[in-house]
Amino acid sequence: MEKLTKEQIDKAIALLKMRPDSKLETHLNACVHCGLCASSCMYYKAMKENKFIPARKVELVASLYRRYCTLTGRVAPFLVNARELDDQMAEEMIDSLFGACTMCGRCVKHCSIGVDIAYIVHFGRRMLAAMGLVPKTLQATVDAALTTGNNMGIETSDFVDTIQWMEEELQDECGEDARIPLDETDKDILYTLNPREPKFFPLSIAAIAKIFYAAKESWTISTHMYDVTNYGLFNGNNEQAGQIAKRLHDEVIIKRCKRLVLGECGHGSRANRWEAPNYLQQPYEFETITAVELINNYIRTGRIKIDKSLNQELVTLHDPCNLVRNGGLLSELRFAVKSAVSNFVEMTPHGMDNFCCGGGGGQLAMSEYNERRIKIGEIKADQIRKTGAKVVVTPCHNCVDQLSQLNQVYHLNVKIKTIAEIVADALVLDKE
Amino acid sequence: MIWYQYLSLGALAVFLIAMLWHFIRLIKEGKPKDLSTKSGNLPKAEVYAYTIAMMPNHKESAYLHLPSFTAGIFFHIGIFLSILLFFVFFFISPTLFPQWLQMVLALCIGICGLCGFGLFIKRMIVKKMRELSHLDDFLSNFFTTLFQFFTAIYLIAGSFAPIYYILVTILLLYIPMGKLKHMLYFFAARFHLGYFYGWRNSWPPQKNY
Ligand code: SF4
Ligand code: SF4
Repeated sequence: MEKLTKEQIDKAIALLKMRPDSKLETHLNACVHCGLCASSCMYYKAMKENKFIPARKVELVASLYRRYCTLTGRVAPFLVNARELDDQMAEEMIDSLFGACTMCGRCVKHCSIGVDIAYIVHFGRRMLAAMGLVPKTLQATVDAALTTGNNMGIETSDFVDTIQWMEEELQDECGEDARIPLDETDKDILYTLNPREPKFFPLSIAAIAKIFYAAKESWTISTHMYDVTNYGLFNGNNEQAGQIAKRLHDEVIIKRCKRLVLGECGHGSRANRWEAPNYLQQPYEFETITAVELINNYIRTGRIKIDKSLNQELVTLHDPCNLVRNGGLLSELRFAVKSAVSNFVEMTPHGMDNFCCGGGGGQLAMSEYNERRIKIGEIKADQIRKTGAKVVVTPCHNCVDQLSQLNQVYHLNVKIKTIAEIVADALVLDKE
Repeated sequence: MIWYQYLSLGALAVFLIAMLWHFIRLIKEGKPKDLSTKSGNLPKAEVYAYTIAMMPNHKESAYLHLPSFTAGIFFHIGIFLSILLFFVFFFISPTLFPQWLQMVLALCIGICGLCGFGLFIKRMIVKKMRELSHLDDFLSNFFTTLFQFFTAIYLIAGSFAPIYYILVTILLLYIPMGKLKHMLYFFAARFHLGYFYGWRNSWPPQKNY
């Protein structure tokens, strides 16, 4: 790392002093250093290194706050561990806040006080972003989204080819009238995808298209802006996160669609459903819902028919942190999965207490931390193994990616599916 | 009233003004303005955040660490009891308490103080705790533990009044400077947690289908 300049430091400190509300001040003053959050974090559990204790991550940012924003920290820094923002501090922050936190929020719920550790980690990332210290790998993912419209830099022609291929698959199964409509206007739904789908898992696109076909949905996908992901949530650059979110927002308006439906992606759903209106400083004019909620709506209203006996294998569910703990969809995920499978088993723990897959927080994009990512994933692998399930369902393509790698490394021998895939497998198509 | 009691009252005034400043600052900064469409029930989530979510069976910090958690609870009970007695002592000298009451209170507070002392020792000898702690953590624990011990001693030996009041004075002046001000920020943190999870309908917990 190059030596920090005064300008870089000033930018980060300015951010620390700018408080839109009392949340930052509160959480930076609340930790009592009891250390009881250690066992809630998979980094500490898997690697037993003290620097991975959640409170240590909070402490990095809090010590800067005390140094630059409190009287005690300025007058008696030794008393309250008020630290300077220097090269060593920046390096520690990069390693701990980018490289050792998936921002899963598991520690938050279990903290003895209620410190929002993930929020502070994100704030620390914002300080690093202000100094231009985002890991290059993660920044490259954001840059790809900004310059090409999707985080994997997929060419539009390749994307269209993949969609046409999937449409043919769909038509083989459902008939000529089954379609994957591209770039149409005035539809009820603008549907979005995780670019991992066209790139690695195209069958999940066929699965959701089959569900839309069965529900006789009016929908379209934009070739210009179909990417549901937003790694701006993770690189700490809210401006870039806002630019990415705005594109998707504007695409709904341009295509004159009534609803934005977020494809199966945990962080993408979080970014667009919960964070984006705040990035853009405007409430959205249209409804934004996740694919799972939409599918559940079809099931509840009888728009699609499901025969759960078509899915006989034992299935378990991995709760994406951004959809459950940070997204409120605990019951919705279970409703969808249990409607579509005959044999279901929960992981221990699950729901609000679930462990992250290990790939969240941008970890999948930061190859320099691959070893850590796979190591912490062992906790998830053990959870899956203990269920005895043959299929792991998860409504998040980043989780699918991480779970697929865990499947290989830890020899789990399971199938990994999205909710659309498992529902599509149980779908009973109307003969007419 | 004697000079050392005036001294402690002066410290109490400084403490109250400083904490009020922290409180007013939080109020002025306000709560987050979330522009996304709310999904949950904020009042219910806030109630949940301050009540059931704090129960030991809902937090790993409690049920995975029962000895530390229990010691912490007793430690805090001892602090609250000692604070209460600090005010009571202005109206009734502990020497006027019935002897059995002096003994019972001193014993209870003494046990709570021992819990605090135990946590102090843990902070010193467990490596992960030592690495997480700084001077303020040790001093905060030290002063509050000593406060309890001297409350207990003063209950049964009135001659310790000067030391007791000087110690209270130091403690009251110290609180706003270090982590002991979590006595205010704890409540603010629970509020923000209730707000965050409540807005997104994660709290109160949903029925598990
Ligand atoms: S449990 Fe909460 S209060 Fe205790 S050390 Fe961890 S973050 Fe701080
Ligand atoms: S948010 Fe998750 S990964 Fe980060 S410190 Fe907390 S438990 Fe660990």
